[in-house]
Amino acid sequence: MCLCLCCVVFIFLILIFYMKMMMGSSFPEEVLEHVFSFIERDRDRNAISTVCQSWYEIERWSRRRVFVGNCYAVSPVILIKRFPDVRCLELKGKPHFADFNLVPEGWGAYVDPWIEAASKAYPGLEEIRLKRMVISDDTLKLISKSFKNFKVLVLSSCEGFSTKGLAAIAADCRNLRELDLRESEVEDLNQSSGHWLSRFPDNYTSLVSLNIACLNSEVSFTALECLVGRCPNLRTLRLNRAVPFDRLAILLRRAPQLVELGTGEASDLRPDVFSPPDVFSNLLGAFSGCKELKSLSGFWDVAPGYLPVVYPICPRLTSLNLSYAATIQSSDLIKLASQCQNLQKLWVLDYIEDLGLEELAASCKDLRELRVFPSEPFGAEPNVLLTEQGLVSVSEGCPKLHSVLYFCRQMSNEALRTIARNRPNMTRFRLCIIEPRTPDYLTLEPLDVGFGAIVEHCKDLRRLSLSGLLTDRVFKYIGTYGKKLEMLSVAFAGDSDLGLHHVLSGCENLRKLEIRDCPFGDKALLANAAKLETMRSLWMSSCSVSFGACKLLGQKMPMLNVEVIDERGPPDSRPESCPVEKLYIYRTVSGPRFDMPGFVWTKDKDSALGLS
Amino acid sequence: MALELKSSDNKIFEVEELVAVQSETIKSLVEDGCADNVIPLPNVDSKTLELVLDWCKNHVDMKLDEEKLKEYEDKFIEVDQAVLYDLLLAANYLNIKDLLNRACQKVADMLKGKTPEQIRETLNIVNDFSPEEEEEIRKENLWAFEE
Repeated sequence: MCLCLCCVVFIFLILIFYMKMMMGSSFPEEVLEHVFSFIERDRDRNAISTVCQSWYEIERWSRRRVFVGNCYAVSPVILIKRFPDVRCLELKGKPHFADFNLVPEGWGAYVDPWIEAASKAYPGLEEIRLKRMVISDDTLKLISKSFKNFKVLVLSSCEGFSTKGLAAIAADCRNLRELDLRESEVEDLNQSSGHWLSRFPDNYTSLVSLNIACLNSEVSFTALECLVGRCPNLRTLRLNRAVPFDRLAILLRRAPQLVELGTGEASDLRPDVFSPPDVFSNLLGAFSGCKELKSLSGFWDVAPGYLPVVYPICPRLTSLNLSYAATIQSSDLIKLASQCQNLQKLWVLDYIEDLGLEELAASCKDLRELRVFPSEPFGAEPNVLLTEQGLVSVSEGCPKLHSVLYFCRQMSNEALRTIARNRPNMTRFRLCIIEPRTPDYLTLEPLDVGFGAIVEHCKDLRRLSLSGLLTDRVFKYIGTYGKKLEMLSVAFAGDSDLGLHHVLSGCENLRKLEIRDCPFGDKALLANAAKLETMRSLWMSSCSVSFGACKLLGQKMPMLNVEVIDERGPPDSRPESCPVEKLYIYRTVSGPRFDMPGFVWTKDKDSALGLS
Repeated sequence: MALELKSSDNKIFEVEELVAVQSETIKSLVEDGCADNVIPLPNVDSKTLELVLDWCKNHVDMKLDEEKLKEYEDKFIEVDQAVLYDLLLAANYLNIKDLLNRACQKVADMLKGKTPEQIRETLNIVNDFSPEEEEEIRKENLWAFEE
């Protein structure tokens, strides 16, 4: 009798458990798919995909947006097998130090195989975003022919193509909304069939964003004017140096709805000659008519006398990029910046000087991002009055400032400590003291303690670039306090392997580490080999890592590609203890790559070539 | 013009046609001329049906007042998990677009920022991956497809 009761209770409990279990997985597939359609972040979609098998299947069939942070960490085959219906693809290629010409020409990051595969697998592809990749004209043509609903093409710091490829995009992408060539290198092929901009058909009206600021070539103004005039949804227009400033008024009157504008060149307008006077008033009128304008850039060779044409829109500006405005000096910069009370982002040359930054700190209380670039980075002596004081002022006056890139020639631990205490909300801090190994100019000591204060106080710091005289001590601070740090850039710093060891063993969230000209060798690297599988990539150039250690690392960690980049010839033609020129290590699920040039060696290369 | 709807637990609800046809499912029945008798809804219990009909009624009443409607919707969707799931399934079955969207959005928000294990716990889902399978997917996700 008692046993029977126990059985009944037992069965009852199982039923309850079963019912509870069924609650979550009893959603019909289409309901789950609908729920997933509200989840866009990669991290969240990745979490969903590992919940259970049915969720994995539903998620992979419904993921429309894919981000690949390292094109060699995965392959087109794996991508397509996993996600059969992708609409938006984003790929990144070369490591960041490629921006400083540290990655030799021909290293890789070719997007052609990806687009080739996508052209067959993803006919519905709408958006392609590439960063630091090589793309050919043939591939651009393939894009224009393969994807009927193609809308967005963003090529950031890319190369390998010409205006011929752009012509194909213009001619055949009927639904194109966005063409953004930011900082790419584009070859100008003088086309007999006319300028590439005129290849946009007459009935094409869907352009929303056009960024051709990086183009060195001539632009057909007529074609541009027609294009701008017939696209009512155009909100972003970033022109290149070939578009004269005085003709800007024509474009602005055609597109007063613009939100973001990059001006062209103004060298025609001589600073001492204000006639014809209607040029000035024409521009002023045109700018005043742009009630939606929030972002301004360009200003190549603009005569300071013409700056007041933008004054009417300054109070509405949230973003201002004057990093190419080499003709605008301190007093004019101050006048301009002080009128932009709603400025959130400012990129400027060091002509702004400490005084200008002080004014900025007083006027622009909503500033969130500041980048100060050097006007004469290769000059031996300072040409402007820009010191650490400018940055200190801004850190004091702008409570929302969280992202900084600052080039200067002197720094002190005291200033860094002050900045750290002022701005514990800092998330990105990149300091570039122009001369390597520059000490604290007040005490002549290393800047360890200053940077230590930054990592200690700025608990949400995600990105950090170091410069100046630094010992292993700074790395100890970084390893201890930099718990949220994701990206670290180091140059001419440290004394020994201990420095590298502190970082690799301490920074739990480190994803990208790039190092140049530091005395880091084999020990720290081999001791922290496992760490490398938790990071996207590690770059080391002009350090002390031997070829032998690279071979060992490659053997020990089969899931890593350990690339030795050495233009002196095959690494095994030198002793194993010889340090390699450059080293690029990254985790990958697609194994070795087979498009390596002669100066790149990995452990698999010999076997790939059939050598012993 | 009134319609009669019967919940799974046999409760009858008398509803104005204008309110009821917010459900595409019921709308089709009306258009096909099948709504003369009581319409059985075996997949929706009375508790849930009452809530759903409240949603539909308010969407008719407040049609022109966007702000008031939004306030209502925000308050309406603040229900506990079990009720939310019932609403979600009912909205799907009855094909009420805006309620379905709202409920899906709410469930989606519950899932965001969570680890797979936390999601399983929240929804009582059993992990049917082998440890090797799960590790392989996790690796591919993290190494290939994440920021």
